Amino acid sequence: MTDHLTPEEIEQHADGEAESAEHLRECAVCANAVLSAMQMKRALRAMPRFAPPAGLRARVLAAPPARRSHVAWWLAAAAVLALAIGGVALLRARDAAAGQLVDLHTTILASANPVDVLSTDRHTVKPWFEGRLPFAVDVPDLALPFHLIGGRVIYWRGQPGAYLLIGKGAHRISLFVFASDAVPRAIASHAGMSVVVWRAHGLAYVAVADVPADDLQPLRQAFARD
Amino acid sequence: MTRDSADPRAAFEELALPLFEPLYNYARWLTHDPIEAEDLVQETYLKGLRGFGSFAPGTNFRAWMYRILRNTFLTSRSGLRAVPPVSIDEDPDAYEQISVAETPESLFFARVDSETLRSSIEALPLTFREVLVLSDVENMSYREIAETLSIPIGTVTSRLVRARQKVRNTLRGER
Repeated sequence: MTDHLTPEEIEQHADGEAESAEHLRECAVCANAVLSAMQMKRALRAMPRFAPPAGLRARVLAAPPARRSHVAWWLAAAAVLALAIGGVALLRARDAAAGQLVDLHTTILASANPVDVLSTDRHTVKPWFEGRLPFAVDVPDLALPFHLIGGRVIYWRGQPGAYLLIGKGAHRISLFVFASDAVPRAIASHAGMSVVVWRAHGLAYVAVADVPADDLQPLRQAFARD
Repeated sequence: MTRDSADPRAAFEELALPLFEPLYNYARWLTHDPIEAEDLVQETYLKGLRGFGSFAPGTNFRAWMYRILRNTFLTSRSGLRAVPPVSIDEDPDAYEQISVAETPESLFFARVDSETLRSSIEALPLTFREVLVLSDVENMSYREIAETLSIPIGTVTSRLVRARQKVRNTLRGER
């Protein structure tokens, strides 16, 4: 009798991915194994499927720029901003700051490893910054819909800062934390990207995200709280 | 496939809308969560539409859309959690003992109810769950799975072996 089929060959037969094998006609053990795999396949196929909720199709069809949580969009926005910032000296300093931070936000999100400490636990993220920054970063307990994803150290205009990546549903919010004097008082929102600045505990916070600025207020309150 | 350059959106929708229900089903298997699945599907269509210009006509559109959905999931919070820190494929010890001498009971799966089967698949690590769902629920060929997951066909096969083995073991343990 020919050799038994390997486990891979058994699955290939069950999946119709193999040529017929002489061995299967003469070996009950292997035939049985293929049959078992086919039964599992059939059972899985027969499982009730998850049906999309009513209205989702319409939302998908209605889609366009309402939601902008796209790397492609961000890259396009960043490219436009980079051109604008590079070419037009008319931009005021605060607009430049917005552009740079939006660029940073885009670059970090597009990176394969956006954060160096990946944790939803603020008690992990907060101590991680100790010794890495010249100031302490207070990471509050975030209430839904916000959730902490992780953090890293970044440099902007020669200043070290903390970067916190925060999720809000499918959206990603970049929260930059710098020593207070490093950041302009106000930063304009840029090209549809909301940029919200606030100061608390002697630090400056800049949140950048593709959500309406008002949606970032709860985050501001959480970080400004003592 | 021809693409109407005057209206790429119409061309995209014509290809993408038939995938709406399968993509949602796949999203549910990845996320285990109806809300996240909904977000994921919406984002996938937006990314698909925006990136449609980079889709190479004549290549597999279904795999392309599934890949967008999966990559979007992997960069989400639950996706980051679901990804194993080390490659499972390269760990020889993780290869469970498989012997063809082990006799599978006939009609075994005929007696397993859908809920038990579903929970045993949901318990699988993402790496195995997705390959099993693409193959057996979404009916993709090995080649299509390989394209969707960007892995070699041999890896598809070995992951399927282990996925089915794990499901079998779980179901045996539960009886």
